Amino acid sequence: MAPKFQIKVFQLSRFLKNFTIISVISLSFLLVFFSKTDYYVIYGIKNISSSVVIPVTRFISAPINAFSNFVDEYNQFKSLKFENKILQEEIIRLKKWQTLAIQNSRENKVLKKLLNATDNNLILIKTASLINRNDTIYSKLINLNAGYEDKIKKNMSAINERGLVGKVIDTTAKNSRVILLTDPNLSISVKSISDGIFSLLTGNGDGKYLVSAFVKENKMPRLGDIVVTSGTAQIFPVDLLVGKVAKVEKNRFFVLPFVDFENIDYLQIVTSK
Amino acid sequence: MEFPKFLNSSLKLNIILIISFSISVNSFILFPSVNNAFYVLFHLTFIYLIFYHYHYYLYVVALVYGILFDILLLNYIGAHLITFLSLLIFFVLLKKYLIKLSYYQIIFIYFITLIVLLLFEQFLANIIYNYKFNVFLILNFFLISLIIFIPTIFLFNKLDK
Repeated sequence: MAPKFQIKVFQLSRFLKNFTIISVISLSFLLVFFSKTDYYVIYGIKNISSSVVIPVTRFISAPINAFSNFVDEYNQFKSLKFENKILQEEIIRLKKWQTLAIQNSRENKVLKKLLNATDNNLILIKTASLINRNDTIYSKLINLNAGYEDKIKKNMSAINERGLVGKVIDTTAKNSRVILLTDPNLSISVKSISDGIFSLLTGNGDGKYLVSAFVKENKMPRLGDIVVTSGTAQIFPVDLLVGKVAKVEKNRFFVLPFVDFENIDYLQIVTSK
Repeated sequence: MEFPKFLNSSLKLNIILIISFSISVNSFILFPSVNNAFYVLFHLTFIYLIFYHYHYYLYVVALVYGILFDILLLNYIGAHLITFLSLLIFFVLLKKYLIKLSYYQIIFIYFITLIVLLLFEQFLANIIYNYKFNVFLILNFFLISLIIFIPTIFLFNKLDK
């Protein structure tokens, strides 16, 4: 009886091993296929990853996060005096601008009424805060604490007080993912304010600059020109601030974004009217 | 007596996998290289597990981490999952040749596997989802691999006694 029993155990173990291997390989190929076709199974997995995995990974990496925050606060404390001086000077400068802006705003309203122009205001969907960021390796992605329950949809624009930050690429019930402008795989159609030169910008791999991928009629903007969204691709609302032309080469130009991507705490998810 | 010993070092390596995964998917603005270092460490640990602690449960490990890495770093499933599973399949096919190699040859193969794995992930991301090949990232990975490879081997040898 004993040898028979041994053979049975061996066969079962081998069957289990082969079954695991074959099912894992076939499941992975199915998942790659579903991911390509945006099947709802993938949304389920993404939902689990954002609601379960991200909090767990944040908990495990909390010591490094705490250390990073401590270093950040120490650096801020060190530069407090210097920053204070700069801020005082900026307050004086901004007060002058404020009076000018109020005058301009009144003038603008009157002129709009005269021209019978329609407002190009944005609709604010939700102000969300940042949960975590995955912008070091591969894509430049950040996760926000608001999802489709807050009426956030795919392809909506994410902005902050400085300008355009990115685009919503995925939403789950309570979370959404935003791809940053600096991602090399995101293209935005822009125009320069002074010359109205249309071009396409993408992230430049280094995570700092945006580089032109296409310039209409090969006309290069001038150094220091301000670049805004053109609204031609109908993904981003028109006239959102993007950045300033920082470097112009023969066939391409570089833009330094207005947004400080390293200091994002809150984002506004907007769409055009 | 052998089984608990195997479980012990294997368990330690799996804990390293979880920690390195968690740190690599949470970006730290002040220390971006920390993410890259732990990302490379994850790959080193996974290859070490396959080379020295091969077991078919690693297919499930490859499946889980492959999916999570893909979703958290690329937002699409593909590159990491296929790479990890391909590594396991290649190892099973080439195991009989690897056993015959000397210690230094295995170390060399280990390092080459790491670099090929990191390159293959970028290549697959490019092929499947049109992700642009990031030269900065590849150079960063290569540099980090050079720095942490020997200390990691030393640490793993200590863990394995």
